[in-house]
Amino acid sequence: MGGNNAKNTDSLLSVRNIKKSFGLNTVLKGIDLDVGKGEVLSLIGGNGAGKSTLMKIIMGIYQPDEGELRICGEPVTNFKPAVSLAKGIYMVPQEPMLFPNMSVEENIIIGFKEKPAELHTRLVKIMDDIGWHLDLTGKALSLSIAEQQLVEILRGLLRESKVLILDEPTSALTFDEVESLFRIVNDLKNKGIGIIYITHRLAEVFEISSSVAIMRDGMITLSGSIKDFTREMLVKGLLPPNMDEIEEKDREDIPVDYKNTKPVFELKNFSGYGFEDISLEVYPGEILGVAGLVGAGRTELATTIFGRDKVLSGKAILDGQDITGLSTAEVIKAGINYVPEDRRLNGLFGLSSVAANTTSALLNSKEMGKVILDSAKEREVAGKYIDDFRTKVTGQDQEAGSLSGGNQQKIVIGRALSTNPKLVILDEPTRGIDAAARGDVYSIIHELKRKGLAIMLISSDMEEIVELSDRAIVMFQGHKRGQLDKAEISQTSLMNASFGIAQKED
Amino acid sequence: MEKSFLTGIKKLFKSWAFVLLLILLLEVVVFATKNPKFLMPRVLFGSINDIISICIISLFVTFVMITGGIDIQAGSIVGLSSIVVGVSWQDAGLNIWIAVALAVLVAALCGALSGFFVAYCDVQPMVVTLGGSFLYTGIALLVSNLSATESYKGINGFPEAFTQISKYKFFDFLPSQVVIFIILAIIAYILLHKTKYGRKIFLVGVNRNAAEYSGINTRLITMSTYVLSAISASIAGIILTAYLGTAKSDLGTTFTLPIITAVVLGGTLSTGGKGSVVGTALAAVVIGVLKFGLPLCFDVSQQYLDIPVGLLLLVVVIGRSVFSNPKVTAKLHGRKK
Amino acid sequence: MQHIKKILKARAMGSLLFLILLFFIVGLVNPSFWQPTSILNCFNDSVVFTLLAVGIAFVILTGEIDVSIGAILGMSAAVGATILRDGGNYAVAVAAALLVGAVIGLVNGLGVSVLKIPSLIFTLGVNGIVRGMIYVYTGGAWVENLPADYTRAANIMLVGNLTWFYAATIVIVLAATYITTKTRHGKYFTAVGDNISGATLVGIPVVPTKVAAYVLCGVFAAAAGMVYTSRIGFITPTAGLNYEMKAIAACVLGGIALTGGQGSLVGAAIGAIIMSSISRILVFLGFSSDYDNTITGIMLIVIVVVTTVAQNRAVIKNRHEILSARTNGSKNNRTKTIEKGEAR
Repeated sequence: MGGNNAKNTDSLLSVRNIKKSFGLNTVLKGIDLDVGKGEVLSLIGGNGAGKSTLMKIIMGIYQPDEGELRICGEPVTNFKPAVSLAKGIYMVPQEPMLFPNMSVEENIIIGFKEKPAELHTRLVKIMDDIGWHLDLTGKALSLSIAEQQLVEILRGLLRESKVLILDEPTSALTFDEVESLFRIVNDLKNKGIGIIYITHRLAEVFEISSSVAIMRDGMITLSGSIKDFTREMLVKGLLPPNMDEIEEKDREDIPVDYKNTKPVFELKNFSGYGFEDISLEVYPGEILGVAGLVGAGRTELATTIFGRDKVLSGKAILDGQDITGLSTAEVIKAGINYVPEDRRLNGLFGLSSVAANTTSALLNSKEMGKVILDSAKEREVAGKYIDDFRTKVTGQDQEAGSLSGGNQQKIVIGRALSTNPKLVILDEPTRGIDAAARGDVYSIIHELKRKGLAIMLISSDMEEIVELSDRAIVMFQGHKRGQLDKAEISQTSLMNASFGIAQKED
Repeated sequence: MEKSFLTGIKKLFKSWAFVLLLILLLEVVVFATKNPKFLMPRVLFGSINDIISICIISLFVTFVMITGGIDIQAGSIVGLSSIVVGVSWQDAGLNIWIAVALAVLVAALCGALSGFFVAYCDVQPMVVTLGGSFLYTGIALLVSNLSATESYKGINGFPEAFTQISKYKFFDFLPSQVVIFIILAIIAYILLHKTKYGRKIFLVGVNRNAAEYSGINTRLITMSTYVLSAISASIAGIILTAYLGTAKSDLGTTFTLPIITAVVLGGTLSTGGKGSVVGTALAAVVIGVLKFGLPLCFDVSQQYLDIPVGLLLLVVVIGRSVFSNPKVTAKLHGRKK
Repeated sequence: MQHIKKILKARAMGSLLFLILLFFIVGLVNPSFWQPTSILNCFNDSVVFTLLAVGIAFVILTGEIDVSIGAILGMSAAVGATILRDGGNYAVAVAAALLVGAVIGLVNGLGVSVLKIPSLIFTLGVNGIVRGMIYVYTGGAWVENLPADYTRAANIMLVGNLTWFYAATIVIVLAATYITTKTRHGKYFTAVGDNISGATLVGIPVVPTKVAAYVLCGVFAAAAGMVYTSRIGFITPTAGLNYEMKAIAACVLGGIALTGGQGSLVGAAIGAIIMSSISRILVFLGFSSDYDNTITGIMLIVIVVVTTVAQNRAVIKNRHEILSARTNGSKNNRTKTIEKGEAR
């Protein structure tokens, strides 16, 4: 990036050779990055690439081990959030971090030196300027995620920040809200504010950014003006160098015999909180893709089937047995298991051993002993899945939290299979894991299909749905929008349905 | 070489019980060299009464803390159990053993009530058991008012069979209290570390959501730990009553902090998910021996004993926090290079 | 108008209404309670707990806990009382006591925020050490024979039946409340307890805020110790034993959430009045004061269970509403705020 030196004169933010490690783990291996006036820099990278660590250093939350950070030309020596804020940096975090019990206004003006009355006037003016109207007196806990994000952005605007960092701001927003956000970003850009825009969605990158940088494994692998790149080049930059093509060996397609088999699982006009009137069926040996945008109600559908929330109407039938409204324990017993979307929150027992993680769903069955835990059986079950999935562990007693994301996911999938389900619901099974582990998970899914399991695959990754599914349904705002046969599944058809374009009459 | 050093340290901290055992050995060696009387069974076991209640209760408060909760009401249940035995025996004229069973039942109900609020209403365990400690102390006082005996005097004159609970000596030297403690420790160990129920307790503490998604009834499990700790408190109350020969409503009021100390010193994570019966039992004994040995061998006044116990707790938790810091781990690693 | 609304919505308001209702009902049963003397006596009696509760409230607001305040009260009272007994200057005695409180508070604050030891455990350890130190310092004996002027001070009235002590306490509580709710730095206590990562992100110095909370807590406990000395007239080595539990209970009764970030110092003061009035009220109602703990326990549990259940219900309802709004497409509430902008 030596060629960028000429730009440095009007550089708002300049990062030079920043390195950072935690304990034995090196997260950043020498990062160079520049943001100029009116520049929108898209920063792309998978989980664990080091984006958030880099942002935390820029925000002064972490101190780098090596390297230089300049804000508006001045070097930063004292790494504290207060310093970065004073110099004009503000970060809107991925998950808004408001003070739930304070009013919206208090949330925005906390930490300012100026008088509250003066800040109030300025705040109202800013809101008028950009045309948002939030109730400033309400408590922050009553806001939706999107509104919380607006509050965070207002904070940044009120601070008259010179550089605004937006960390995956669209992941929780609806289509309309995303459009509105893009308009704001363009306004800010015209005012000369520099923006770092972190995202996973390549389409957005081309829509709003002026330059792009790709981070992988603690390094910037690609960077430059957006005009110089195509979508394919960005995808290539995101993959490890030797992973040009995902392993093809498992791609033998076993067609589902729809004529002679009965569906193992059926939903009939199933409604709950977050989704309405869903009907579908899954056949043995079939992978049913469930596509849609974040917030389309797919996870709510899955967790409601799984007994985590109330069924409002309709029926769920597994192998002829009505399982509507059963508790999670009963649903598992009937023959369904679920791999949760948020592994850290709902899937993994981080402090527990690999063995305890694998067998946790078996504790209600007699298989693991009546009262006393059958430790031989436990070792057998855990060992089976470690071998089958080629999970990298030092031993069965290793703490699950110390494994890599991919291996953690294998453990959670192993648990879901340990109960011998007829139907497995996989919710974003490859989110946050590296490309190699992704290949492994795909092999596992193919193997399950071969064994005749019915699989519901919820994924926001359209390529994943295309690659794996035998049939797919698409959800949009809680409703089923279309059902596609194998031949009809393509990124375009999925995308159109996901954005509600297929059914204009609504 | 470097790896084995690091995993060595890790292993050492995994077997926290081992460290406690070393501390215990150190105590015994120091005290015994200073004053050989320390090792005489009669002297050693003669001191057990002050600490045995705390040993017993802390075994089961460990269960509560592993689920991520806390129990500061156990002390108040000691007094309640004591007075229930006394009043139902003396004033209601019940058979002493029925009175004992009644006390355990009452305690279990108290534990279930608090546990219900924690598990099914999602109220903070600290607040519920704080309220519980006031409530059960208060009820104990009211029960004692039912008695013809003035509450400050306590109820005396229990039958010999009852006082033998604490006075009987196996092989002429091993007090029955110690035997009860060992039996309870074994029961607690099997429950927590060998049964499916114990496994569920750990899983609830590590990640309650994930436990729910595994089909575990986390609410019932959580509530049950409060019942167990209340029952253990009632057993401690009965033993203490038998030892003193007096039933009083205010027994156990100062137990809360020592119980928590023993559990934490035993290696239980205050955020839940980690802990062991062996650790707690050893920690309780470490504290007991310290409290017994210092006055005997170093002439330290009884009343000063909170200082070494407090220091021990602080040194241990600070040490653990320093060693688990990634920066320190990295430095140790670097030095080895 | 907005200010009035805000005050009415405050969590402390519920506690105040409860207190008024309580006094009203007692007055109905026994009209002699409805005299300034009886009511003011309730206030006067609450000084020690008010100071303790307000002090610990700083710590609880930041999301931590301090179970060493009973010991701090005992230690600082012992130090102050010894100076008084030996003929020392009153100001010196009070200053020494406050210093003791501040130092112990500083140790707690550093242990919790710098060493990152869970606060319950750290202050538990400190509690044991300080309790023992009281015995070391006093040699296990009572500190008695304090100057009569000092012990009389607790009974000097400002007007009518209102003691100077309580009047001063009111002023301190109001001042502290003003600082924590209206000033820039004062708001940091609640902010840290409400969302610690968020606080870091907006540049709030988390560690110094927590340390300050513990130091203040120690100083308030020491002040309570000097009031205690004046009221009781002598100091035993067990002075203040288990008071931490009552102070925490007072905070909960006053609407402060132990999770941090919610509640106010005035609430703690009101909670302390409720706590310390119960035995007096029981007597007026014709009950034995033996019901004191039972009533306190029931009140604590009922209040906390009811508020928690209501709060959790509201959270679930809110979540369901948001989810339902999504299924109903564009009739969606949350996009409205933005749509207005589009109309501009």
